[in-house]
Amino acid sequence: MAARTEAQDTGLTVVAGLGLVAPPPIHIQAPTFEGSLATLLKCVRDNKVQLLDVPLLPVCEAYFDYLVQTNLADLDEAAAALLALAFLLERKAWALLPNEQPEPEPEAPLELPEPTIHEYAPAIECLRTWHDERAKRFFRSPDASPEPYELPFTLAKVKVEDLAMALERVLRRAVPATVEQLNKPRRSLSEQMRIVLVALGKEFKPLEDAIPSPYTREDAVYWFLALLELIRLAQVNIRVTETEVAFARAH
Amino acid sequence: MEVVDSVMALLFVADEPVPTELLARTLNIGDGQVDQAIEILQARLAEGGPLQVVQLAGGWQLCTRPEFAEPVAAFLKPQRQRLGRSLMEVLAIVAYRQPITMAEVDAARGVQSDYSLRQLLERRLLQEVGRRSTPGRPVLYGTTQQFLHQFNINDIADLPKLSAELTDLVGVEALAAGAPVAEGEEDVEVEDSGAKPTEPDESETEPTSPEAERTPVVAE
Repeated sequence: MAARTEAQDTGLTVVAGLGLVAPPPIHIQAPTFEGSLATLLKCVRDNKVQLLDVPLLPVCEAYFDYLVQTNLADLDEAAAALLALAFLLERKAWALLPNEQPEPEPEAPLELPEPTIHEYAPAIECLRTWHDERAKRFFRSPDASPEPYELPFTLAKVKVEDLAMALERVLRRAVPATVEQLNKPRRSLSEQMRIVLVALGKEFKPLEDAIPSPYTREDAVYWFLALLELIRLAQVNIRVTETEVAFARAH
Repeated sequence: MEVVDSVMALLFVADEPVPTELLARTLNIGDGQVDQAIEILQARLAEGGPLQVVQLAGGWQLCTRPEFAEPVAAFLKPQRQRLGRSLMEVLAIVAYRQPITMAEVDAARGVQSDYSLRQLLERRLLQEVGRRSTPGRPVLYGTTQQFLHQFNINDIADLPKLSAELTDLVGVEALAAGAPVAEGEEDVEVEDSGAKPTEPDESETEPTSPEAERTPVVAE
């Protein structure tokens, strides 16, 4: 049933509005109206249909048919239908009763989603058909083009352990991160690669010397990831000595 | 070199739909000549062979004929499943009412749709297209070129028509005219996402995690 509040000054019951759950596609066939329950609600709301002329018995029968057919598979929908039905019954009762009091107006307008989700059903079915038709066609895959991650590069005598050592040294100097700000913008690795290239220069130097201090562990990881990508693209050379791992721009 | 053969060669090497304008610019001919060449090419391919030229996602693309779907699928072994009901509902609502906020999608469905929306974003069928200039600046969502490609649609205006009554409600006519349709559309800040047509992901699967969309949205 529609939510109600007691108006303190008048004591009148005020219909506070219906829920937003659209009633299921219950088809109503009456002498003066034929269509879905949602459409009837909208028409009543917009005063396009005179509810006094619409017998509610077929509406109730359609609701019971719906309950029997669906076997209460979706309680939300069944509740939404009951809510809509109760609204119509109440409106009609107010219209029929010889009551001096004016019919209470809904506090909030009867807001049903327009169109209701059920009214998208034919379009969804059509989209599914198109999707299935499309699935029977095959196109050239973009994967057929050269795979950028297979660009040739060589690490020569550099081992993975050497790179791990470089990362470990950088992390050792990292300072604790400050409080993480909300809605922090995403960092771009390509932008980071540009920064790393500029910082490295032609002379070989350890990574920890290239990163402006102080830096956090997150900064260090970004620098290292960008460095790996540059190594893969042959943009950075590596020199390994007994004591350190140094990097320099290749060109 | 014949224009028709050139157009076919370009479509053969392209891995995404090629707009008429791009074909014309590449071959240094007019749009009309490209259209003519496409017509001839379609007729030529219709005479026989496994290929056809189709117009979708705003361009032309070569593909295999549906009659050859079985052997090609046996070779490529695409993982293909239908989108679930909730995903299709969200997709349809966004498609017809874009640009639209998540709250509006929730209201239209009567249940929370964040999970489905996220799934569709991950599948690149939806994208963020801007923010509405209202309090909170909610994100606006719209469909992608991938959506058009995957659903065999050339333009968003070619969506299946809703009934006449609903057409008025969602403004499909405005869609057809290329105008965004949403409440307060004049307040919409739309970003140029620069989205390019992409090869549809054939590995669409049903969401495996539990659908957390059973919370009814109740009016105040």
